[in-house]
Formats: sequence, structure tokens, C-alpha cells
Amino acid sequence: MSEQRRQVLQMLAEGKITADEAERLIGALEKEQPASANGGSESGAKAQPKYLRVVVDAQNGHGYRGPTSVNIRVPMQLLRAGVKLASLIPVQARDQVNHAMRDRGLPFDLSQIKPENLEELIEQLNDLTIDVDESHSQTKVKVFCE
Amino acid sequence: MIPLVAAVSIRDRRSRSFRLWIPLALVWLLLLPVALLLLPVMFVACWAGRIDPIRALSVFWQILSALKGSNIELNDDGSSVRIHVF
Repeated sequence: MSEQRRQVLQMLAEGKITADEAERLIGALEKEQPASANGGSESGAKAQPKYLRVVVDAQNGHGYRGPTSVNIRVPMQLLRAGVKLASLIPVQARDQVNHAMRDRGLPFDLSQIKPENLEELIEQLNDLTIDVDESHSQTKVKVFCE
Repeated sequence: MIPLVAAVSIRDRRSRSFRLWIPLALVWLLLLPVALLLLPVMFVACWAGRIDPIRALSVFWQILSALKGSNIELNDDGSSVRIHVF
């Protein structure tokens, strides 16, 4: 029995509310519970994406007879572990990488990637959906988390 | 836990298909002596690159473990290849 339901029954037993009022309150609680249960499962599913999915569909006319499709599912754990590889890059090589990235307009320091940043990044990936629709070659690329 | 089984499914244009189950547990067992032989080399490489070898081993293990659940599927011109790591 839920705490709110117990409180309603307690109020009824103490005579603070009538039986009709108690019935209405319990009815309202019953209506509320399935909605909150659905909301809870949605937020739970959103909280932890488990896979990064890349789907490519190409209907190209370059001599192929049929369509080309690619469907890749990468576990998020692999992304986590992969980013940790950055910490294994020797300092000199890391400087070179940072320098090369800066030259290409990406002022990014690999040594700044910390586990907490990584978790934040993965959390944000939950809402990520990239749709690329190239009309002239009829190629569709979709990147999303599930 | 590292992946223990991988499945490879291949289907050609004539719809002939076969599925191959690879017992990765056996592969790991076979690779274990090689890994042990390469361990001193790895330690020397880590020492040269000023990397913590234990950390390197830990990250390598994490990557291996994270492969579980990976799925790659390619379809082209009627033929397809699918690799799934369990």
C-alpha cells in the first residue's frame, strides 16, 4: 500500500474526511500512479543510453544493383574505454596531437578529458540524433543513442 | 567480463548463407601464452613512453570487455555480413 493511500485511510479513520471524499482521493491517486510509473520508466530509459547506433542507407546509382546499408551498434562502454586511451598517449605525442588539432581549428587539449567530463558527454549523447540526408545520391545517415 | 562468443553471418547474392560461431574463450586461451611473452615488451614500451603499465593493461582490459554487445551489419547489392559479439 502506498504512503498516500495510507494517509487517506488514516484521515478517514480519524473522521477528518468522509467516505465519499476518501473514495475520490483514492480514485485520484490510482489515476496518478500509472501516469507517474510511465513517466518514471521514460526518464529511466533516457538516463542511460547503452549503445551508439550508426545507420547508413544508400540507394546509389553507381553500377550497384541493390541498396547499400550499414548498421553499426557500438556499446557506450567502448566509448568510455576508448576515451581513456587518450590518457595513455605519451606526453610528446599528445602535444603533437593537440598542436595538429589546433592548426585545424580545433583548440582541444586531450589531457583535459577527465572521467567526469566523459560521463557528462555520454549523458548528453542521450539526446543526440544526427540525420544526414544527401538528396543527389539518396544517402541517409542516422546517428543516435538507444 | 570479456566477450566469450562471436557470431559471423554471411549471405551472398544467391542467398546462400552460413553462420559461424567463434568461441572467443578458446581464442583468448590460445593467445594467453603470446600475451605473456609480449608482456615484458609492453612493460619496456610503457617505460620508454612514461606510461603506467598497470593503467595501460587496465584500459586494454576495459576495451576488450566493452566489445560485448557490439554489432556490425553490412548489406550491399544483395549480399550481407553481420558480426555480433556476445
